Amino acid sequence: MSKIGVFICHCGENIAAKVDCTRLASALGDHPGVASSIEYKYFCSDPGQESVKKAIRDNNLTGVVVAACSPRMHEATFRKACAEAGLNPYMCEIANIREQCSWVHNDGEKATDKAIDIVRSMVEKVKRNNTLQPIEVPVTRRALVIGGGIAGIQAALDIANAGQEVVLVEREPSLGGHMAQLSETFPTLDCSQCIMTPRMVEAAQHPKIRLLTYAEIESVDGYIGNFQVKVRLKARYVNKSTCTGCGECITKCPSKKIASEFDCGIGRRTAIYTPFAQAVPNIPVIDKNNCTYFKNGKCKICVKSCPLDCIDFEMQDEFEDLEIGAIVVATGFQVQNNALYGEYGYGKYQDVINGLQFERLASASGPTAGKIQRPSDGKEPETVVFIQCAGSRDPSKGVKYCSKICCMYTAKHAMLYAHKVHGGKSRIFYMDIRAAGKGYDEFTRRAIEEDEAGYLRGRVSKVWLENGKLMVRGVDTLLGKPVEIAADMVVLATAMIAQPDAKEFAKTIGIGYDEYGFFNEAHLKLRPVESSTAGIYLAGACQSPKDIPDSVAQASASAAKVLALFSKEKLEREPVIAVNNESTCAGCWGCVLACPYDAIEKKDIKDRSGKVIKRVASVNPGLCQGCGTCVTFCRSNSIDLAGFTEKQIFAEVMGL
Amino acid sequence: MSIEQQYRTRAKELLSAGEVKMVIGYGAGTTAERRRPIFITSPDETERLVLDSACIANLSGYLVTEGLLSDEKRVAVFLRPEGIRALNVLAAEAQLDPLQVVIIGFDLPKGELKSLQGSSVDDFTDLLGALKESTPDVDGRELLEKIEKMSPEERFAFWQEEFSKCIKCYACRQACPMCYCRRCIVDSNQPQWVNTSSHTLGNFEWNIVRAFHLSGRCVECGNCDRACPVNIPLRLINRKMAQEVLDSFNHFAGTSKTQEPVLASFKKDDSETFIL
Amino acid sequence: MSEPFEPKITAFVCTYCTYAGADLAGTSRLKYAPNVRIIRLPCTGRISPMFILKALQKGADGILISGCHPGDCHFTHGNYHARRRWMVFRALLSFTGIPEERIKYSWISAAEGLKFADLINNITEDIRKLGPFDQYHKLIEETQAQASL
Repeated sequence: MSKIGVFICHCGENIAAKVDCTRLASALGDHPGVASSIEYKYFCSDPGQESVKKAIRDNNLTGVVVAACSPRMHEATFRKACAEAGLNPYMCEIANIREQCSWVHNDGEKATDKAIDIVRSMVEKVKRNNTLQPIEVPVTRRALVIGGGIAGIQAALDIANAGQEVVLVEREPSLGGHMAQLSETFPTLDCSQCIMTPRMVEAAQHPKIRLLTYAEIESVDGYIGNFQVKVRLKARYVNKSTCTGCGECITKCPSKKIASEFDCGIGRRTAIYTPFAQAVPNIPVIDKNNCTYFKNGKCKICVKSCPLDCIDFEMQDEFEDLEIGAIVVATGFQVQNNALYGEYGYGKYQDVINGLQFERLASASGPTAGKIQRPSDGKEPETVVFIQCAGSRDPSKGVKYCSKICCMYTAKHAMLYAHKVHGGKSRIFYMDIRAAGKGYDEFTRRAIEEDEAGYLRGRVSKVWLENGKLMVRGVDTLLGKPVEIAADMVVLATAMIAQPDAKEFAKTIGIGYDEYGFFNEAHLKLRPVESSTAGIYLAGACQSPKDIPDSVAQASASAAKVLALFSKEKLEREPVIAVNNESTCAGCWGCVLACPYDAIEKKDIKDRSGKVIKRVASVNPGLCQGCGTCVTFCRSNSIDLAGFTEKQIFAEVMGL
Repeated sequence: MSIEQQYRTRAKELLSAGEVKMVIGYGAGTTAERRRPIFITSPDETERLVLDSACIANLSGYLVTEGLLSDEKRVAVFLRPEGIRALNVLAAEAQLDPLQVVIIGFDLPKGELKSLQGSSVDDFTDLLGALKESTPDVDGRELLEKIEKMSPEERFAFWQEEFSKCIKCYACRQACPMCYCRRCIVDSNQPQWVNTSSHTLGNFEWNIVRAFHLSGRCVECGNCDRACPVNIPLRLINRKMAQEVLDSFNHFAGTSKTQEPVLASFKKDDSETFIL
Repeated sequence: MSEPFEPKITAFVCTYCTYAGADLAGTSRLKYAPNVRIIRLPCTGRISPMFILKALQKGADGILISGCHPGDCHFTHGNYHARRRWMVFRALLSFTGIPEERIKYSWISAAEGLKFADLINNITEDIRKLGPFDQYHKLIEETQAQASL
């Protein structure tokens, strides 16, 4: 038998001025199952809460309805009070008679009628409430960081420095990501390698960080606090534990003309190689597709040159299973292929390059040792044209969005060029200069005022070769005139786009992505570093184009999320989750398909001999977020949502 | 050799070779115009099989009889194109493994018996695809058009009249291959969403709920319509809903064994003309 | 003179967008018609067609279903599922003579207090014009006479 207590709050005058609380209290007092119906000026006050607790104890109440402000205000307050009086907190519900009644209606009579309906309906619901316990999920305190660029390194270091274990997985042979490729960084012009390499080394040597380079994620199962991750450790063909990184093999390797990925094709590398001199770990890998031995079965010069016998051509990919509590995805971006713009001659003329290639030219550790030289003949260019938005903000050929960093790095390129090639002329075609950020606008002004970067507002229509010069035709929209510039080199400020396999990867680990392949955050404004899957966080340019400060900030933010999760041994969650009745479930998998969180699994029901007799849906309480979408799909009414059960809602509707 | 005789022979071969453990087909009924389902497990019995223009029932529902396919042995079944579509829906909803079903396909265009080539659901993909593009030949099209032209009040009155005849015998549900739930929503009483009494309100709710549960799944085989002892034109509601999902979501139930259920999937650019 | 007809409207809303929008209408002290009773659910994905039938049984003259705008669902895509479901269900109701005009759908975000207040006023007026849903009410009365519900 239900004994429901109804507590009608005046909220000072906020409710009582419109709603006749005495009539409301007496109407509910007569309602079947209501044991006590009282009104008070402020139930949220200390004496108010005490009176609720007292009523619970005195009347042995089985449920409580507080008719007051929105549940979004004080549901937690009153549920806590109920718990303190020994009543399960989920036996307490709020009837909203302030925001959705007294404040919005002029007619007191009708407002009171409405309030009676609202409270009565809620009393009917509470009669069917079940006692619920917060869900406790154990947490494996070990984080997985996917991607060893600056975002991944930062997240890994922050988590590790707080004393938690981290596994840092990078698919390339070395940590570093795109930041390691850069020359100087805006807006301070400090050398990228100088600030990056110490962090790489710190990550590699950190006692709490396990570094897995040349490794990829095969599969992710499980849920927040309890992920099972399978990692593929790609065969390096070099024994990691014995190699000292002496580099003898690299020096001796006869295949020396392979385009270096790290140098964006401008530099060359050998078949056994480290991507760059400061690689971490400094252990080479053999590029199977370009190795003479793998191609022809003969060579093995590296084997002979190795003083420690580290080379092993028989090495196979290995797999490792990891138990993980939280995942930070920091898989970064790629630059768009500018061959899309045939009219700019990328891929056709050697001296039309993209921004990242210019970085390699300007980098002191790059193929030209930091000298700005044209790729075609090694000459110093006298005039360089930079084309911004080569791919960005171009719905017809490129991408719709702004790549965010190109305005800044183009200004930086013009500066570096001015510093390295005295008297060199730079011309920059731009649509807008987007320099929002600390010190950013000052930086672009400096490029214009001190380093004589010549900005032209307009688009380039065509680039062609004429008498050894790259002729650039565009329009200066401020003068309203077409312009033609004879240049020695053209640099395209290429769009940042999602990694080529971003969508596949998102499916593997179970997170959402947008139309471009950037990973979706749970909420753009309020949960920008969480993915929609609990326990998986995002950092850096895998979520959207970002510069280094933003990537680092997001990485630290996701580390804070991971640490908050790891601060407890067990994870406590609201028990509003779906529950399936396995005896009536028909196993049609409508719920499995509809669930936004992949929280519903297919479970085998076996007989004593172990034979599968039927398969039913089974809700994983760790993954379920409690939306209830599955419930509506279930034709047999087998699946239900705790806290908003079919019975409760039926009673609410029928109580109106 | 007549199609009937060919198919008897085929059934006999399938059973003799042990390729299937059972053939589900049609046998003679209590009157000359009626056929009843028969379940043959011995090659000697295949002469009992009948195949003619009276074989209109969709037999696919018998495939989901509890335990029939759990031994992983195969079963052959006589199916018209609607039945093959139903088989696809059942496969897509994980109620059976289509590899366990050998289809003995036939059709009855304008009452004329015709054999269909193929034995597995995938063999009929083209046929079913063509069916999606064709205009369905519906019994009672005129009545349907008449209802569509009515005012809401007239429609309500029409269905109130029809549903008032319903005796809640659930023959429609029993005859329907899509009604495979272990527990029907109407038999769920915590809460009792659907009034079980056969008063008009309960009848209204029952028939609306059943039509909704069939939306995007019904293959319009007509089993429910023929089973109804009080002749409620159930086919009209099902036809209307099939047209609705085809027009709105380009969905035609049962075109493949892996088809996504239309109401458990969505497109971000689905029509939303009706939303304020 | 007879009193003007006051329609009874039952609303099913998601807690993250429309319920919050209704709260905002309250905190902004906007005024709207007192005819709507709100049932709060986690997501529009949770709103079952059965709720509508039961609300009609309880004498509702109109129904409102409202949730987050497409793309804004707190649960990423409950509202997309709901949109498809309502597309089909409203066609079914319409075919059986339950007028589409009595069942309203809307997207209202947590920021749209004003839209909520306007919507409630508008649909109340719309349904007032349609008058009481007599056909259904009569069905219930007859049924109650026949058997106790």
